[in-house]
Amino acid sequence: MLRRSPVLLGALLVYPVVIAVLVGLVAGYASSKPRVAFVDEDHVPPVVRVAGHSFHVQAIIDEVASNVTLVRMGRDEAARELASGKVVATITVPPGFLDKLASTVQTPSLILRTGTGGLTPVVKEQTQALVYQLDRKLQDAFVAADLRYVRLIQHGGRATLLGKSYDVLGLDRMEQLLASLPPGRRVATMKQFVAFARFALGETGSALAATANPIGLKQPKTKGRSWVLSAEVQSYGIAVTVTFLALLLAAGAAAAEKDEGTIGRLGRGLVSLGRLVWAKVALAAAAGLVLGGTIAVVFGIVVEVGGVTGGEPWARLPLLLAGVVLAAAAVGAAGALLGALSGEARTASLVAVLVVLPVVFLGLVPKGVAAPAAWISDALPFVHAVRFFSSALYDASPWRTVGVETAWLAGIGAVFGVLARAGMRRLAA
Amino acid sequence: MTASLLRATGVARRYGELEALAPTDLDLHAGETVALVGPNGAGKSTLLSILAGALEPTAGRVEGSARTGWVPQRPAHYGRLTARENLELFARLEGVGAPAAAASRLLERFSLPPDKPSGELSVGNRQRLNVALSLLGEPRVLLLDEPTASLDPGQRRRVWEVVNGLRDDGGAVCFATQNVEEVGRHSDRVLVLQDGRVVYEGEPAGYAAAAEEAFR
Repeated sequence: MLRRSPVLLGALLVYPVVIAVLVGLVAGYASSKPRVAFVDEDHVPPVVRVAGHSFHVQAIIDEVASNVTLVRMGRDEAARELASGKVVATITVPPGFLDKLASTVQTPSLILRTGTGGLTPVVKEQTQALVYQLDRKLQDAFVAADLRYVRLIQHGGRATLLGKSYDVLGLDRMEQLLASLPPGRRVATMKQFVAFARFALGETGSALAATANPIGLKQPKTKGRSWVLSAEVQSYGIAVTVTFLALLLAAGAAAAEKDEGTIGRLGRGLVSLGRLVWAKVALAAAAGLVLGGTIAVVFGIVVEVGGVTGGEPWARLPLLLAGVVLAAAAVGAAGALLGALSGEARTASLVAVLVVLPVVFLGLVPKGVAAPAAWISDALPFVHAVRFFSSALYDASPWRTVGVETAWLAGIGAVFGVLARAGMRRLAA
Repeated sequence: MTASLLRATGVARRYGELEALAPTDLDLHAGETVALVGPNGAGKSTLLSILAGALEPTAGRVEGSARTGWVPQRPAHYGRLTARENLELFARLEGVGAPAAAASRLLERFSLPPDKPSGELSVGNRQRLNVALSLLGEPRVLLLDEPTASLDPGQRRRVWEVVNGLRDDGGAVCFATQNVEEVGRHSDRVLVLQDGRVVYEGEPAGYAAAAEEAFR
């Protein structure tokens, strides 16, 4: 039978490969760099001079932030994104940080705030690694600065301290002076001290390098939204459910018109094919609204009951539900097309189930990991639904994103709707 | 000759390379019953679907202002809806003034169980519902595609009573069949189709030779 159905055989062979590739891409992403907010409250300039050394701040951050993706943002935005789970941690450079650092006598601290979800231990480790690498960079500068004073004591010379210039004797010249003095017990004691001091200061460089640790890391106790309640998880949860439901429902309903033979009866002028597609789209939208709304409400209740901070589950609910209706309608149009192409309700349902999985995985693959996957995903409603929901729920100013994603969903829905209408015409014939 | 209620001029249908129906002319007149006879794949259902407006012809045109009822070969109604719900739904879509009353009338006329999902009805009941649905818009032209193929003799008789009543009231009927007895008993004119072409058109008395050739 399979030999006589090359399309089915091809699909059976290709499908697991596609799924495996997508799972691989998503799994690779899951183990890759988490997003961390970088809040600069000290207005660190592009180039910082510490202990006589110049540091290009962004270059250093780029160099050392190999384990996390640092995203610069303001304090409020960072707090909001941490609360909503969009970033897994925030690193804050507090006011006065640079002054303390430049003094080389105080240890300034960065402030790390993390969420409370499953990624927190990983983020802590990666942030500690980031700070450790920054320490290593600064350590060289500090050691060099300290060694200038050591060399001054060893060899003497001119030095400036508190704005006044001094001629420093140095151990070398002190040894010469002691040699010119008449021998005696006191002179011998001083010579012994000079020899010991020269030896000890000679070892100072490596001792400094071994012990330097110019930056500390403080972690205040914070109460943030846990990873499992994050905006991303909520958005994906609603989008996956709505996509699955709307696709399956519309595909089954469209194909059922052929199964039941009603498309011919309806197509005799009782109902236009466009209206028939629209009915499937409306059915998907209504079902999506009920299910998506239920999930959003359940999330909101869990967030409230758990006393979790961050996000506005109730105030933004109407906007979210508008997005759910739009997304379900766009997916419904795609489902109607699938149903029209399948021509048989059971086949359509099976195809819809098989299609949902790669569509969702495509939406999870970030552009940076596999650009073609992202392009394909952009042509499907799922990823736009996720962005709409995420922005509607938790962005401080969601209107731009909501507007863009509305346009995408409407456009994609219209294209699928037109194709579905053509498919229904074929089905009717 | 009575007035033409439905006229097909040069209607044809192709599916890619396959010619399902060659250009065909057919006039249906008031008070007339026309039988379409031919083997499977001869083009009977295609011609009826085109006449009913369920299928676009690739050539030719269909004209006529009379309301048309269509009984497709396979019952066409929603299996999860009851017979009453199906009748009321299609009555609304047909623009019938009182859908509930029209549904009740047809349920009684065809002795259909009103509240059972139509997908659970017997084959005979489903086919009778199929015929009942075609009568919702009170058509003057009735097009039936093998309407009695799955019915027992008693059910056949009742269906023909309804169909012949419509013809006797000045309507026109066109039905496809492979039942020789029905052709002789119920038709005024016969078209024999073979491979998408009309090979005979005339009195029922003279169609036998053409039909025998077509079925060979």
